[in-house]
Amino acid sequence: MDIRFEEVDFTYQPNTPFEQRALFDLNLTVKEGSYTAIVGHTGSGKSTLLQHLNALVKPTKGTVSIGDRVITAETNNKNLKPIRKKVGIVFQFPEAQLFEETVEKDIAFGPKNFGVSDEEAKKLAKEMLNLVGLDDSYLERSPFELSGGQMRRVAIAGVLAMEPEILVLDEPTAGLDPQGRKEMMEMFLRLHKEQGMTIVLVTHLMDDVANYANHVIVLEKGRIVKAGSPKEVFADIAWLKEKQLGVPTAASFAEKLAAKGYSFDQLPLTADELADSLLQVLEKVGDSQ
Amino acid sequence: MMNKLILGRYIPGDSFIHTLDPRAKLIASFYFIGIIFLANNWQTYVVLAAFTFFAIFLSKVNLGFFIRGVRPLLWLILFTVALQVLFTRGGATYFEWGIFSITEFGVINGLFIFCRFVLIIFMSTLLTLTTPPLDLSDAIEYLLRPLKAVRFPVHEISLMLSIALRFVPTLMDETEKIMNAQRARGVDFGEGNLIQKMKAVVPLLIPLFVSSFNRAEDLATAMEARGYQGGEGRTKYRVLEWHLKDSFVMIAFTLMTVLLVYLRA
Repeated sequence: MDIRFEEVDFTYQPNTPFEQRALFDLNLTVKEGSYTAIVGHTGSGKSTLLQHLNALVKPTKGTVSIGDRVITAETNNKNLKPIRKKVGIVFQFPEAQLFEETVEKDIAFGPKNFGVSDEEAKKLAKEMLNLVGLDDSYLERSPFELSGGQMRRVAIAGVLAMEPEILVLDEPTAGLDPQGRKEMMEMFLRLHKEQGMTIVLVTHLMDDVANYANHVIVLEKGRIVKAGSPKEVFADIAWLKEKQLGVPTAASFAEKLAAKGYSFDQLPLTADELADSLLQVLEKVGDSQ
Repeated sequence: MMNKLILGRYIPGDSFIHTLDPRAKLIASFYFIGIIFLANNWQTYVVLAAFTFFAIFLSKVNLGFFIRGVRPLLWLILFTVALQVLFTRGGATYFEWGIFSITEFGVINGLFIFCRFVLIIFMSTLLTLTTPPLDLSDAIEYLLRPLKAVRFPVHEISLMLSIALRFVPTLMDETEKIMNAQRARGVDFGEGNLIQKMKAVVPLLIPLFVSSFNRAEDLATAMEARGYQGGEGRTKYRVLEWHLKDSFVMIAFTLMTVLLVYLRA
């Protein structure tokens, strides 16, 4: 299922003194099975764009096609549930959405809303809880007695339990410790690779973009200023610095090496690529001696 | 969600009205609501309306926003006016049916009440559109000061008021975020019958309460850490200043009161 934006405009509170335009003439496609990263400054319209992905907001102009459903400004608010089931969104700080007495009920809440039977939902809850790295002993606990990181996992499990085809993540690891961050990101990558889940990731961390994404969209002030593979987007480091977007750690280290006279065929974006290309260089040096 | 609500919002500006002392504006607004009951004939309503529109003109805020501010209350106004028109007796009778009657007095009363509502809403909208909420809470604290004599906790009330005002937009944002998150999990807000609608609110209310508790705890800790120990012996950062033009406003209101009393039937 692809998501396609065609000439999408979005304005907050149109025709009031508080009118504010957030998106300008967006054209983009989230392809089925892709891992798309959306980057940009705070206030560049990332979160607004994200809410279009499952019709939480409707474009003020243009069309958003989610699979074969077309959303325009005139679309009725009824009967959007099938879209919401297919496109799961994990919002920023999703732990704020927990409310049930037990973790199990909270995870099962989403599936039940979409008509899954009680038993099936409970089974899903258990499965998803394990998937996000918590054991069964948590099922009967209240979500409010968990630590922040555990609450985050439960909230994410709640979205995964809806078994969405497309998973949208808005800074899923913000405020987590390095270990938890890595575990989370690896889990999403597994879902992407093993189950072919389409993932849309909104993030400020360029390392995550370089490590996981295969398509990058750069937003600035509600407009797309660059889109392409991570290689293409990160190719021009000067441009990224000028836009104050940050550069993957590996690329910035490689750039420093290049300044000292090292030459790379292609600028490495991840630690693995960097290690590989360093190895090549060292082998060359070794051969020539 | 709150897109349509104009009443209670602030539009930044630097007009005559914007730069008035908030105390002057607050007193004037309440005073206006008081003297509007002095009006009881056409001349007095014309004076009040002219005064209100002059104030709106001075604020340089688009008249459309005021009209939009009336809209949410329109049904209440029409309901009250309809009651007046249908149940007042006196003067020439135009129409009668059972207990309902449309009479001269009824129509006139209805129109007066309509004017009264609209003028009061315009004035209070003018107050909130041109005064930042924090200035308002400062003004309220100042004006409540005499109540200290009867052991009224003025500082505590004004502190709560300013914290509450400060967190209204934050809580609104939070509400919207949680609402979106739950909608993404398949909750339909505002659909189905009354019971279903009420049930749908639970996944919104509980997280909101929980986050308010957490927020209150964090805020209290942060305040204590910064040396807050209550109202005694505190100095003020935002000091209100009464200027000459604030006195002019008071004089204008006094003159208008005299005029109204003179024109009253």
